[in-house]
Parts: sequence; C-alpha cells; structure tokens
Amino acid sequence: MSKKIFPYLLLIPTFLIVVIFIYYPAFQTFKLSFYKMSPFGNRLFFTGFGNFWSLFTSGQYIQSAYTTLIFVVVTVVAGLTISLFLALLLNQKVPGIGIFRTLIFAPYAVSPAVAGTLWAFLLSPVAGYVSYLFLVLFKAQPQWLTTYPLALIAIMIATIWKNLGFNIIFFLAGLQSIPQSYYEAATIDGANASSRLIKITIPLLSPITFYLIVMNVTFTAFSAFATIDVMTQGGPANTTSTLIYKLYQDGFVNFNTGFASAESVILILIMAVFTYLYFKFGQKAVFYQ
Amino acid sequence: MKKSQKKILRTILIEIGLIAISVIILLPIFLALTMSLKKPAEVFVYPPKIFPNSFYIQNYISAFNSINLGRLMLNSLIMSIIITLGKTVFGIFSGYAFSNFKFKGASLLFAALFITLFMPAEMIMIVPLFQIMQSFHWVNTYWALTIPFLASATTTFLMRQHFMTIPKELEDAAKIDGAGPMRFLFEILVPLSKSTIGGIAMINFVYAWNLYLWPLVVTNSNSMATAQIGLKMLTNVESTSNWGVIMAGTLMVLAPTLILFFAVQKLFVRGIITTGLKE
Amino acid sequence: MWRKILLFSVMAVLASAIFAAPVTIQFWHAMGGTDRIQLLQNLANEFMQQNPDIKVDVQYTGSYTDTMTKMIAAVRAGNPPDLVMIYDIGTQMMIDSGVIIPIQNMIDKDPSFDINTLVSASRGYYTVGGKLYSLPFNSSNPVIFYNKTLFEKAGLDPNNPPTTFEEFIADAQKLTVKDANGNTIQYGFTFGSGEPLAWFFEQFMAVQNSLLLNNNNGRDGRATKAVFSNESGLRIFNFFNDMIQNGSAINAGPGWDNARQIFISQRAAMLITSTSDVNMMVKAAQSGNFSLGVMFLPHPSGVPYGGVIVGGASLWMVNTGNTQREEATWKFLKFLESVDAQIEWSTGTGYFPVNKNSIIKLMYQGYYAKNPPYLVTVLQLLMSNVTPATRGGVTGAFPQIRTAVNDAFGKMFTKAMTPQQALQWAQDQANQAIANYNSLY
Repeated sequence: MSKKIFPYLLLIPTFLIVVIFIYYPAFQTFKLSFYKMSPFGNRLFFTGFGNFWSLFTSGQYIQSAYTTLIFVVVTVVAGLTISLFLALLLNQKVPGIGIFRTLIFAPYAVSPAVAGTLWAFLLSPVAGYVSYLFLVLFKAQPQWLTTYPLALIAIMIATIWKNLGFNIIFFLAGLQSIPQSYYEAATIDGANASSRLIKITIPLLSPITFYLIVMNVTFTAFSAFATIDVMTQGGPANTTSTLIYKLYQDGFVNFNTGFASAESVILILIMAVFTYLYFKFGQKAVFYQ
Repeated sequence: MKKSQKKILRTILIEIGLIAISVIILLPIFLALTMSLKKPAEVFVYPPKIFPNSFYIQNYISAFNSINLGRLMLNSLIMSIIITLGKTVFGIFSGYAFSNFKFKGASLLFAALFITLFMPAEMIMIVPLFQIMQSFHWVNTYWALTIPFLASATTTFLMRQHFMTIPKELEDAAKIDGAGPMRFLFEILVPLSKSTIGGIAMINFVYAWNLYLWPLVVTNSNSMATAQIGLKMLTNVESTSNWGVIMAGTLMVLAPTLILFFAVQKLFVRGIITTGLKE
Repeated sequence: MWRKILLFSVMAVLASAIFAAPVTIQFWHAMGGTDRIQLLQNLANEFMQQNPDIKVDVQYTGSYTDTMTKMIAAVRAGNPPDLVMIYDIGTQMMIDSGVIIPIQNMIDKDPSFDINTLVSASRGYYTVGGKLYSLPFNSSNPVIFYNKTLFEKAGLDPNNPPTTFEEFIADAQKLTVKDANGNTIQYGFTFGSGEPLAWFFEQFMAVQNSLLLNNNNGRDGRATKAVFSNESGLRIFNFFNDMIQNGSAINAGPGWDNARQIFISQRAAMLITSTSDVNMMVKAAQSGNFSLGVMFLPHPSGVPYGGVIVGGASLWMVNTGNTQREEATWKFLKFLESVDAQIEWSTGTGYFPVNKNSIIKLMYQGYYAKNPPYLVTVLQLLMSNVTPATRGGVTGAFPQIRTAVNDAFGKMFTKAMTPQQALQWAQDQANQAIANYNSLY
C-alpha cells in the first residue's frame, strides 16, 4: 500500500457519508427551493424566488421565526443559569456528593420525546400533578398546553429540564479545573462569596459557557422538535411552532416540497453563519491547545 | 459559634439543598413510575393520590402489546448499535488521518468536513434526504435508519483532538519497530484511547436511541418504527390508553438509556466532557 | 377404488397448485391498534381462503398522514402498492396523482358489482365530477357522546339531550361544576384540537347545509376559493368560543386521546368525537360505571338541518399496468365491500357499514336494538340530506386548510382575534393554499 494514499483511504468512508448525505442534499435543497412541485412529483415548475417570497409574506413563517427566537433565547439563558447554580452546589465537598451528582445528571439520558410525554402528563388538566399543585397553591387552573404563552412555557420547562444533566456535567468539569489557589488568594484579599463568583468563577467558565451556549442553541432549535411534537404539535394557533416544526409540516403534512426546500435553504444559511461565528470567536477559547 | 460548628451547619444546609434539588429533578420520572402502576380507575381519582393502591403491571403489558413495543425497542437497539459502531470506527479512521498524517489538501478536506459540524442534515435537509431514500428504495428499512448517520464531523473532530494529545515519540518508536500505520493505530493508539473512545461511543449511542424526526419520517410501519416513535403511537392508538399505560410505555422507552447511564456514568461523563473540551 | 380416488384428488390438488399462478397484491392501510390490525388481517385471510390463487400482503403503514407520505415515496420510487387506504382529504391529491385507476372504470366493466348497495353519503363523498374514484371502506362522522349519569346529577333529562346550539350551550353550563374556591371540577363539554377540531368545523358547516369551497365544494370543477367565512362559519366559531370563554368547555389539546380521557374520567359530561370511537366508549362507560348516551350533532336553531359529511378513508386502486394483479385487487375490493365483511369490520370497530345491505342485515339480527349507540351513529348518517354541502369539499390544499382552521380557533380561544377576524383569517390562509396548489394544474 502506498503511503501517500493511505490517509485518503482512511477518509473515504467519512467523506462518502458526508458527501452523499449532507453535501448532495444541500445542493438538492437549493435546486428544489426554486421549484414548485405537486405532492406526487408529477408536476414541476420553476418559480424563481417564488417560494421564498411566499414564505416571507406569510405571517405564519415570520411567526415561527419569532417563536424560535424567543424559545431559544429564554430556554438557553434560563437553562444555563439554573445549571450553573446547581453545578456550584454540586461542587461542594460534602458527604454523598457522588450520589447526588449521579442523580442530578440523570435527565441527560432522557430523550426529547420522553421529556415531552413526561411533562405533558404532569401538566395535563385531568391527571397532572403540576396542574393540581397550581390549584392547591394558587387557586388557579392554568391550561398549560392549550393557551398562549403557557404552551410555549411548558415546552421551555421540558427542554430546560432535559438539558440540565448535560449542562451541569460541563459546568462542574469547568469548576473543578479552576485552581483552588485563585479562591484562596481572593479570600485573603477580602473578597466575599458573591464577588468571588463574579470575578473569578464566571470569567474562568466563559469558554465552557460559550460552548454550552452553542450546543444549547442547536439543541433547542432542532432537537426540541420531538418535545413540541409530543406536547403541542405546534399549537395553539401556531404559537409553539418553531422553524423546524414548520419545515416538517410543510414537507410531510402539507406535502409542499417547494416551501419545505426554501425553508431548508434558510436554515442552512443560518447555520452556516452560526458555524462561521463559532469558529471565528469560539473555537480557540474552547478547544484550547 | 465555633468555626467547626459553622462548618457542620453549612454542610447540613448544603445537604438539604442537594436532597431537595435531586428530588425536584427526578420527580417527573418518579411520578411517571407511580402513575404507571395505577389501575385505570385510580388514574383519574380526584384529588390525585401519588401512590397507587396496588402494583398494576397490566399497564406495562398493554403498552407493550398495543404498539408492538418489543419490535420497536429491537429496532432502536439495532439502529443505535450500528450507528455507534459506524461513527466510532469511521471516526477513528478519519480522526487518525487528520491527526497523524500530512497529505495534500488536508486542510481543505478538514474545512469541508467541519462546515457540516452544526448541520443536522437529517433535520434541516430532511426533504432532499428523504428523496434520496426514495430513490435508493430505502424508505422504511434499516438502511435509512442507519447509513446516513454512519460518520460525522463531530466524532472525527473529537478523535483527531484526542489522538493529537498522544506523544509523537510513540509513533516514531513504533516505526522503528517496523509497525505499519494500521498496526500502530490498532495496537497502540486505540488501546491508549480506550476510555475516550468508550465515552464518545456512549454519547453516540444515546444520540441514536433518542433520534426522533428522522425515524418519524422514514419509517411508517409498526414493524420498522423506533421506540421514540412508539411514544407518539401510544397516544394516538385508538384504544383506551390512559396516562397509566402511556407512562408505562414512556418508562420502558427511557429505561435502556437511563440504565446504561447509571451503569457506566464515568464513561459518559468523560465522553460528554470530551465532546466539549480537550484535556 | 378408494385409493384411486385419493390418488386422483391428490393429483388434482397438486395440479391446481402448479397451474393456477398465484398473484400477490399489496394492500396498505392506516388502521392502528392491535385489534384493528388483526381485524383487517383476518378479513384478508378469509379472502385468501376463498381465493387460493390470490395472496394479499396486508401492511399497516402508520397514520393517515404517514400512509400518504409512504404512498408518495413509493410512487416516486416506482413501487407503489396495488391498493392503498387514503384519508378523505387526500381525495383531490390522489385524483391529481396520475397513478390511480378510478373505481368507476372497474365498476363499468363488472356488472356483478351493484353500486347502489353503497351507502349514498359515502358514495357521494368519493364521487367527483360524476365519477366514483375510490371505494369507501372505513366511514365515520362525528357524534356527541354524553354521560347520562352526570346529566341526571345536574337535573337534566338524560333522555332528552340538547338538539340546538343554544340548548347545548345552556346544558353545558348546567353540567359545569365548581368547588368552593370557584375551581372547575367538572366541565360541560370537551373536544380535541388540531385536526379533529378542523374536522368538526367542516361537519357543523354541513349541518347548516353551507359550503366550504366554491364550485359546489369543488364537485363541479376544481375549487378555487374557500367560502366558509360567512354567517354559518361564524355561528360555529361563536358556539365553541362561548363555551370556552364562559368556562363550561375545556380544550383538551391536540389529537383525539386527551379529550377521550377527560370524558372517560368523567371530568367532562359531553364529548365530540368520531363515531368510530363508539366501541371504546361503550367499554369505557361499563368500566367507569356511568351510563352512556349518544346524540346527533346540534345545529343552530332556525337554521335548516343539512347533515353530516362522511369522514374516514377510502380504498384506492393503483395503476400498476399488470392486469392480473388489478383483477385480483378488484376481487379483493369487492370482498371488502361485501355484506359480511362490512358487518365484521363495522361491529369490530364502530365505523358504520358502507354497504346498505349490511345495515339491513344487522337491523334484522337485532343488533341495533341491542346497541343503541351504534344505531345513533348510523341514523345520523342516514338522516343526512345528500347535498353538495354534505358531500364535503374536495381540494388538494385540504391539509393546509385544516391547519389554518385549527390555528384560527386557537387565535380566537386565546383572544388574539375576534371570532369574525379569526374566521376571515382562516379563509384567507385557505385561499392562499388553494391558489398555490391549483397553480400546479
């Protein structure tokens, strides 16, 4: 075997998969986005930017974009804040901490679909314990899954809960890599707990936080599809329909290939920008050599 | 108050806090468990009682039978194992290529691969991907469930990062001993990286087990769907499924990853950390 | 002598096995749940016993939407099934697909099949432009199940359920029970949102004999406009909205199951759902210890009653170009529509028989006398007038229209829009979708 071609041979399987199942469909999506197609594909017309025009002039698509933005920002910010707090608690040296860590990491193993069914059950108006709790505590009967903005909040709760395990594991690893001597020096200088948190912990965690933001954004924007599908199916009145949910609906419920392809193109472009920013600002900070 | 007393008090407070938080976080799973053991008549008792009067196993049997769950779990298992194997083996190959070899176009190929790092193609390009499955006649087969996921930029990237931490001298020594690059990979690199590879494999397994949108679209029979899709079926089946049955099904779908997670948590944590950081 | 006969018969059996080339046909359906999957398999087995030269490969292909997706995929990959079950609202898409054989063609060639045995409403739904395109199989429409026990508790006459919107709203309020803190512990009425809710809307339009689409609901020519934003549509929006806003109805959330659970758990006294749930409801009432009633859909007082639209799905024959398989498929179809097969299917599920003779036979056997809930489901259908409104709309954009109508309900329930605005909004969305679909043809 020639030494020169050896590394290429190693790369063949990966590139075969990536070219056939990512590059080629990406190219195909761009092409299809300029066409109108009948459900069975027996009619095909070039429509230029017609699909894009229809999307941007339809309130539904803009609403989905807006929903996605709110959903992602609130879920990521709230989720990371809670996770950081829990990680600080789990970083204490107290007896049994190993068991607590094991338990609190558990939601990591939960799938978005399972998270959705669990919370749909807890929030259900008939047998839901959370609904009952609200009745007892606040004398209120919120309709969690069928009113706005509660439905969106319900999905946020399920998503934040599901992400806890992942986020805490990271924060904890980050906290443990901070040398104890930093804190000791600060304590001698008279810094109290909260100023140590703000001046030492948070800045030193920023590379990890950055990585977590990136992962949480992609997770929330895409994988939470399953949670939405199980809990609300995008309702009520489209208020929990994110961009990926809309894409699925147009492609596989309404059988409108043109719209779905145009939506794909938009998402590909958004993710391309996102990747660019990540490599430009984040890569060095996180994957430090 | 003495310093030691203060410390004990602090420990107790933290313990209480930790217990409370563990309970709150695990509560959804615990309540699902108690609900799954309730008789139909108990499910809707109002005001609700947390603990069931009996262990009503029938819910598990109903959930299992009504959606062909045994088959769905088997499908998920087959899919997850194949994907994990593929990603691991091909990831090791391509990671190795990028970490230990200098070749023409290396940086270009590297860039070409890493553009795809945040492109969940099975979601955002689902329409053309589905059409590819149509033309391959792969709709509703294991091919569709596995082949598109056999390799990824992420695993390649992580393997490369890890292999780069292994001292160059080892490779030179192996060369002197006359070991070829393949032997070096399998006899030295891989054994040295066991726990990292294991960790990444665990992550990939959970990722595959939890896939939802893709199986939802490419499978459409109750013999090819996966366990996650079973959850959706369970709430749509036209039989009197109540929350007891649905929670029983949910827990069965959750069990494999949860048990795996508890069993080899160290490996998981290592894998999760590796996905984000280079040690 | 006996030996010879035995030998002869063995040879005959062997010969028939060799010379009668067996045909295999593929049949895809969307009837989930262990019972229904088994029931269809049993029917196929019976057919195969009667016709040893035909093998029917029965496959459950997921929900209606999944089955449509799979059908599209199979057509584009060039390996469609011979027979496929497609939901009511996929009718226009199938007509436009270019891959089907209109059932009318088969009927015209085969005098042994009497088209007049088909229940008129079902036949009417799948007849477009004067041509019967597919054979109805699992037909249903919505009814209202009610809890007679709770009616009695509320001081209402369980044998005199409401018939008008106004009575219905008033009774729903009487059936709403609150505790000392003002929290609702029992609702008057519940319903599932999403696709079910949009379907109910279409049904209540037909109840008022109002069209959904122009060109006589797309029956006289391709529908080009939605026409439901009118007085009739508004009455329906108000009907639901009034009960939601005064707290006597609860929106159970997407799908059928949540609403069923609320009703079965006796947290709501009335439930609107499909007639195909009748089996399930009868069983649930027995195990839940309440007495079950079934009522017709109410209608606004003073508005002449039209009827209900046939929902469910029908069976489509695919043009495979293979005459032998097509003939086998047609034979199987005739079997599925036969009196006994329809009785087996109907009594096992709750869908009503699409063969008139099955209904007659069941009646003579005393089935309907013993099972009044089933009678109501059939009666509601038979008492419907066959008009363009009750035959239902056909358009290729129907999935989007359902989404739009459901979204409009959501906007109204959450007070983001008035009923009038929401209805108009839904119609505008529907018009866009129709224009978009029609631009392809």
